[in-house]
Amino acid sequence: MVDFARRPVEMAVLVLIVAGLIAVPFGGSRLAVYSLTITALYAIVVISLNLLLGLAGQASFAQTTFMAIGGYGSALLTTRLRLDPWLALMLAAVGASLFACIIGVALWRLRGHYLSMATFALALGTYSFANAAAWLTNGTIGISGIPPLEIGGVTLDDALSFYILSWGCCGIVLILALLLANSHIGRAWRALATSPEIAASLGIDVPRYRLLVLVIAAVIASVSGSLYVEFTSFAGPDLYDINIVITLFLMLFVGGRGSTVGPIVGAGFLIIVPQMISGLERYQNLVFFTLLLVVILVRPSGLFGAADDTIPLRTLLPNWILLPGFRR
Amino acid sequence: MTNPAPDLSVADVTKRFGGLVAVSNVSLSIRGGRIHGLIGPNGAGKSTMISLISGALRPTSGQITFAGADLRRLHPASIAQLGVARTFQQAAPLLGLSVMENVTAGMHLHYRSGIASVVFRLPNMRREASAFAAASKQLLERVGLADAAEAQAGTLTFGKLRFLEIARAMAMRPRIMLLDEPAAGLNQPESERLAGILRGLRDEGIGMLLVDHDVPFVFDLCDEVTVMDSGRVIAAGDPDSVYADPVVREAYLGSANEAV
Repeated sequence: MVDFARRPVEMAVLVLIVAGLIAVPFGGSRLAVYSLTITALYAIVVISLNLLLGLAGQASFAQTTFMAIGGYGSALLTTRLRLDPWLALMLAAVGASLFACIIGVALWRLRGHYLSMATFALALGTYSFANAAAWLTNGTIGISGIPPLEIGGVTLDDALSFYILSWGCCGIVLILALLLANSHIGRAWRALATSPEIAASLGIDVPRYRLLVLVIAAVIASVSGSLYVEFTSFAGPDLYDINIVITLFLMLFVGGRGSTVGPIVGAGFLIIVPQMISGLERYQNLVFFTLLLVVILVRPSGLFGAADDTIPLRTLLPNWILLPGFRR
Repeated sequence: MTNPAPDLSVADVTKRFGGLVAVSNVSLSIRGGRIHGLIGPNGAGKSTMISLISGALRPTSGQITFAGADLRRLHPASIAQLGVARTFQQAAPLLGLSVMENVTAGMHLHYRSGIASVVFRLPNMRREASAFAAASKQLLERVGLADAAEAQAGTLTFGKLRFLEIARAMAMRPRIMLLDEPAAGLNQPESERLAGILRGLRDEGIGMLLVDHDVPFVFDLCDEVTVMDSGRVIAAGDPDSVYADPVVREAYLGSANEAV
């Protein structure tokens, strides 16, 4: 996430994405609008993961936990306590930030792989809890009938208005992330990602900045979780399954850690591409994961990753496969 | 000399790692506007001293005080906030940040604008950011890296990284600087340029602890020299008397005799 002036390609891609997003409701199918809404909601979480991992170097798997706090928080507060959906969204986000503080203090002394393992356990626990705590979450049946959001008397219960809302939120979150990344706060995160020792020697309060990024990422993930259940009017454990966390990481790694448009492109890649090749039926997964593998092999730091480390495909293949003109 | 820094005093400090005594009963003081040289063979405990003062390590016993604060109880970040900057023996740039950003990162503790100012781009934050960017540029000019401002720190040559490290420490506007072998690997013109920069900092009232292997460099530059061997102080005083001390010549300079 650096200045646009230095990354003209990313700027061009962002302009194309915005143009495409404006065009889709006019010419696109209902499925396209639906899928792109889901893409926006995931992209929001991937941007938060980019702050955590791409910027501050904290490999936390706990983002589904905070999505679950947002999702179940909104579901419970609106259906049981009959609160306004916007108020529920905000209260859930406050809850997520408080939980992030508790997690932060409890786990944040852990670094690197230990932090990843502990937060991975938290993600597993979140899914189990959502399944098991039927008194609260209604178990595998989930909570349905979540009332829709309203803006100025307009109820957002149709696909198009939610499409606009979710991409609007994604845009706000992206701008927020950019402002933070390009400030002294973002620089402190990048410093501690390189080396906590050097960061501390410069007077950067390392535990405080780690906690700050955890809390900000938690709030963003919680808001996305709330919007998701408002969109589908349903909250259930499968939304917070462990494979969702892995998908979030894949989205970031495909799009590019530390990049601006990477999280959006990555989310789009993992949601849209499988649908585009759904005609392949039982070969769909094979083709998709082959494609994924090629992207990661050719661009190890992601499509828009900070490092320009493109590896030509021909260097990855055995010589005898290549046509004579392409051999090494 | 403008407004010299208060003294940083190290009294009777010992550091043990298990059974190994890395530093044994060392006392020295770093005075404002003076350069205190710390020399000794490899393993003498010089870098350990820097780690002890900067808070990366805690002494087993002894006192370290600066401006009324007991540094033994403080974390590295708090010690840096008091105005004690350090450099690292292996030049340690923040890779992935530009040269300029490395220097601006050194100013972190002087930023006053909070997260709300950043998110809403309030005027105070923008003023601060542009003032500090200008100050970083000036520092880069002072150490001769202005041309490389936009380069990634990881692409600099070894010698330039040393100067970046100095600029980043200067950006903290410290009162005390702990310099761990700043001249290591520099060629003759570079180390002369470094000496010029350090003299300039001394004249501004900054107190420095200069750890180095380069004996002529240290004796030429320092106002005071402490010689360590195997964790102990074997000589201390003004450069001339330390240089003449037979114990020092035997323990440390013996091998360097011809070279000096």
